[in-house]
Amino acid sequence: MQKSKKIVILGHFGVGKTSLIQRFVKDSFSDKYKVTIGVHITKKIVEVNENDSVSLIIWDLEGTDEVQMIRQAYLLGTHGVVFVFDVSRPSTFQNLNSDLKIVAEKTPDVPLIIVGNKIDLVIQDELQSLLKDNNIEANYLTSAKTGDAVNEMFTHLATLLNDLT
Amino acid sequence: MNEKDRLEILKDILFTEDREDIDKIADRIELLEQAYNSREKFASRVDPIVEEQLDKFTKSIPHTLGPTITATLKKEIQNHKDEVVDALYPVLGKMVKKYVAQEIKVLSEKIDNQLSFISAWKRKLRSFFGGSKEKELLLDDIGGEKIEQVMLIERGSGLLKASFSKTETIDEEMISGMLTAIKTFVEDAFNQKNQELELIEYELYNIHIQSFVNYYVAVVISGAYSLKAKDKVQDIIFDFYHNFMEMNLDLIYTSRHLEQPVDTISSKLIQKKLAEYFGNAKI
Repeated sequence: MQKSKKIVILGHFGVGKTSLIQRFVKDSFSDKYKVTIGVHITKKIVEVNENDSVSLIIWDLEGTDEVQMIRQAYLLGTHGVVFVFDVSRPSTFQNLNSDLKIVAEKTPDVPLIIVGNKIDLVIQDELQSLLKDNNIEANYLTSAKTGDAVNEMFTHLATLLNDLT
Repeated sequence: MNEKDRLEILKDILFTEDREDIDKIADRIELLEQAYNSREKFASRVDPIVEEQLDKFTKSIPHTLGPTITATLKKEIQNHKDEVVDALYPVLGKMVKKYVAQEIKVLSEKIDNQLSFISAWKRKLRSFFGGSKEKELLLDDIGGEKIEQVMLIERGSGLLKASFSKTETIDEEMISGMLTAIKTFVEDAFNQKNQELELIEYELYNIHIQSFVNYYVAVVISGAYSLKAKDKVQDIIFDFYHNFMEMNLDLIYTSRHLEQPVDTISSKLIQKKLAEYFGNAKI
């Protein structure tokens, strides 16, 4: 059986939200930065088990440094949220826990996946201490450039959403 | 004592109990006959009393059962407010629209009468200077609107519930998502409460958007989109949506009696309905 689920990708400017989607949907990556204006929508069907698949309708929202400024209307009816931060830019995760609190308030009762992107830009050991120092518990550490953990993250979310209904 | 007498004595000894049983059965049949006869007599006396009581009971229903029925109905409406409003919306909308449309029609006819003379002369002049035949220009004026595609979309999430299309397009789930994003942006940006995006125009196509409480219907129309066509499209949408919401309410009701309740109507069935309503509709 196939179900359709809406997910939104949130995070500060330039953390690689669009690149993550590009990697997941088209398995490609571009170094050229194109700012997302408003919202961009893509879709990918994910097979979660032998009998079920989930049609993920991915809403790529424009980045914002103020999470409070995210348009509430875009979040309506969403089934899952991915919050992305850039592990190479502290300004994108310095207030991560308070940002996540706001996101959770705006999208109650839906799964929230926390993703640290651009791990190809930092040294592994430094990354772990960086997360520890900032009291961050990321669900996935990804690289849209190399493709590390990108498919796993989206597939995990699709499986979660399939199991929830 | 001869042989016959002996046989009679032997019979008496052997069948005494049977005879008693036969006598008892006979008595019971007699009793039943009496009861049946007396019941007929009894019924003639009792029936009017029962009828009178039934009549009293029927008259007392509004006082005795009425409050319970009203309370149950209120509770049901409270629990399924959106469904009820959604079901009523097309009916009310149609009534209001019909009235307004009728008034506009009268006004429009008056204006048409005034303008037809001028239009005919304008067409003649266009034909003379432009080189086209007057008949072709007249056909252009008439229009030729066609429904190309219809989508039933969930509000908020923008998920496609069902669709019907006469032509091949890109992924409809993505279209419905993008349409919802545009609609959401426009309605949000202008911050006007209770205002809805109703029409998107692009060259030879128009997307008519009719919003309801839980869903909205987007109809892609090719050709010049006149007021008359809009009126017809709205009628078809209201008819379809009314039917769809009735199916929803039926489903809510019947699913309570199922072991595994079904919470949505299959998209195949809705798709079939969309094709029925919009497939051959002339606008």
